[in-house]
Amino acid sequence: MGSFVAGNLRKHRHFRDNLTGYLFILPALLTFLVFIGGPIVASVFFLDFCKYNILTPPVYVGLRNFLKLFSDPMSSTVFLNTFKFVAILVPLHVVIGLLLALGVCRKIASPLKYYYRTAIYFPVVVTVSAVTIIWTYFFNFDFGVINYFLNLVGIQSVPWLKSGDWALVAVAIFSVWKGVGSSFIFFVIGLQNIPDSYMEAAKIDGANWFHLFFKIKLPLLTPTMFLVLTTILINCFQIFDEPFLITNGGPGTSTRTIALQIYEQAFRSYDMGYASSFAAVLFAIVLAITVIQFSFQKKWVNYDYE
Amino acid sequence: MAADKKDGLRMAPRIIVEVVMILVSVFFLIPFLWAISTSLRLPKDSLNLPPQFLPTSFQIANYGSLFTLFPFFPFILNSIVVAVAVTVFQALFSTMAGYAFARIDFKGKNLLFIAILSGIMIPGQSIIIPQFLVVKTFGLMDTHWAIILPYLIFPLGIFLVRQFMMTIPKSYDEAALIDGADRFRVFWSIILPMSVPSVAVVSVMGFIGSWNNFFGPLIYLNTWEKMTLPMGLKVLSGFNGTGSLSVILAGVVISFIPPILIYAFGQKYLLQGTTLTGLKS
Repeated sequence: MGSFVAGNLRKHRHFRDNLTGYLFILPALLTFLVFIGGPIVASVFFLDFCKYNILTPPVYVGLRNFLKLFSDPMSSTVFLNTFKFVAILVPLHVVIGLLLALGVCRKIASPLKYYYRTAIYFPVVVTVSAVTIIWTYFFNFDFGVINYFLNLVGIQSVPWLKSGDWALVAVAIFSVWKGVGSSFIFFVIGLQNIPDSYMEAAKIDGANWFHLFFKIKLPLLTPTMFLVLTTILINCFQIFDEPFLITNGGPGTSTRTIALQIYEQAFRSYDMGYASSFAAVLFAIVLAITVIQFSFQKKWVNYDYE
Repeated sequence: MAADKKDGLRMAPRIIVEVVMILVSVFFLIPFLWAISTSLRLPKDSLNLPPQFLPTSFQIANYGSLFTLFPFFPFILNSIVVAVAVTVFQALFSTMAGYAFARIDFKGKNLLFIAILSGIMIPGQSIIIPQFLVVKTFGLMDTHWAIILPYLIFPLGIFLVRQFMMTIPKSYDEAALIDGADRFRVFWSIILPMSVPSVAVVSVMGFIGSWNNFFGPLIYLNTWEKMTLPMGLKVLSGFNGTGSLSVILAGVVISFIPPILIYAFGQKYLLQGTTLTGLKS
C-alpha cells in the first residue's frame, strides 16, 4: 500500500518534471527551431534543390544548382580563396595566440599582466566596421601609415589593397589583429589551470624552459588547443566581415570567399536556390571537418590530468 | 636570484620577452591611438604624414558635427535598444534552458540538449537564407525585431549556464521543493542568484555580439532611421571623399565606449566563464 502511494507520487513527480522541463526550455527550443534548426534543414534538404527568386514560389530543379556550382569557374575561385584564408589564418591564430599567452602568463607584476591582456583582447570586443575604417587608411597605398613606415626603413610601398596577393595578406593581418585575442584568452585560461605543483616539481628535477613547454605545458594545453582549433576553423570557413569591409572581395575576385558568394547570390542577384547550394556545401565542409576533428581528438588531446 | 629563474628563463631572455611584449601591445593599441587623436584634429589634417599617434589639437567640434551632419544619435539609440533587448531575453532564455538541462530530469533531455548544442557548429552563413525568409514571412523586414529575434537563441550560452549550474549541489533544489516552492521559484530565487558569473558571461557576450552585429543589419535593415551603429558607420565611411575623416573617426571612437565599459565590468566574469567551456560535459 505504502509503496503504491510512493510509486504514484513518483509518477506524478515524473510527469511534473517532464512538463516543467519542457516549459523551461520552450523559449530556447522555439527560437532554435525557427532560426537555426529549421533553417539548416531548409538549406540542406530543400532550397538548394530549388529555383527561387523570392517573387515567385520556389520550383524544384533537382541537382541543377549543384551542377552550376561545380561548373562555374567563380566557384573554384571562392573555394580556393576560402581555403587560402583557412590555411593562413588557422595556424596564425593558434600559434600567435599561444605565444602571446605564454608571454603574458609569466611571473610578472599584475598591472603589467592586466595591461597586456587588455591590449591584446580589446580588438575582439570592438565593432568590426569601425576598426576597418581605421585599417583601410593604414593599408592605403599613397598616404597609408604602414607604407610610410616601410618607406622610412627603405622598403618600397606595398600595394596592400590593390594587388590580389597582397589583399589576402592585408585581410590576414587585420584578422589576426582583430581576432587573435579570442584564442589568446583561451590559452591564458588553459595555462592558468595548470597546477603550479606540476611546474615546481619539474623545475626541481632540473627541467629547462624547453622541457617545461614541450613536456608539460603543451600536453596539458591540448584540450584548449582542441577547442580553439574547432572554433577557429568554423569561423575561418565562414569569413565574411573582414573581406567584405576591407576589400569587398576584391581587387577583382581575389578575396571573394564562400560567405561573400552566398551574400552576392542571395541578396544581390536574388538567386536564393543557387546561393543555398553554396550554403549547403559550406555546411558539409564544416560538418566533415568537425567530425574528423572529433574522431581524431583521442589521438592527441590529453584529458587525463583533470 | 631564485625568483629570476621562476619560469625557467634567465635574465637576458626575460628582457627580450618583455620588449617583444611591449612592442606587441603597441601593435594592438596603435590603431586606437591613431583613431582617437585623429578624431580630435581639423578634418584637413586627418591624413597628414608623418602619422601622429598622439593628439596634436583638440577639435571637440568634430564630435558635434557627427550629430548635426549625420543621424548619429538615432544610430546610438537603436544600437542600445536592440543590444539591451537581445542581452536581456537571450540571457533569460539561456538561463532557463540551462537550468532545465542541468537540474530537471525530463524525457528526451539529452537528445534535445545535443540538438541545440549542435547549433554551435552550424556556420551562420549556411542558415542566413532561410532565416531571411522567416523574417520576411513574419513581415519583420526593416524592423528592429529582425535583428533581435534571430539572436535570442545562443547555444553556447545555454551550454555555459548548464555547465555552471551542474556544479551546484542538487540538495538546494530538493530542500526548496520539499518546502513547497515550485520549480520557477527555485530557479529564480535560489539557482539563478548562485549562477551570477555564468549569467554575466552570457550577458556580456550577448551585448557585445549585438552591439557589433554587422551582418544582420546589412541583410535586414534598409532605412537610415532604423540603422544601428555598425551599419551606420559603414554608411558614414562612404562620405570619406568629403574630407571629413576626422568626423567619421569621432563616430568610430564613440562606438568603442560601450564595449570598453562592458569589458571593464565583465572581464573578471569573462575569464571565469571561458574557463567553463574547457570543462568536460
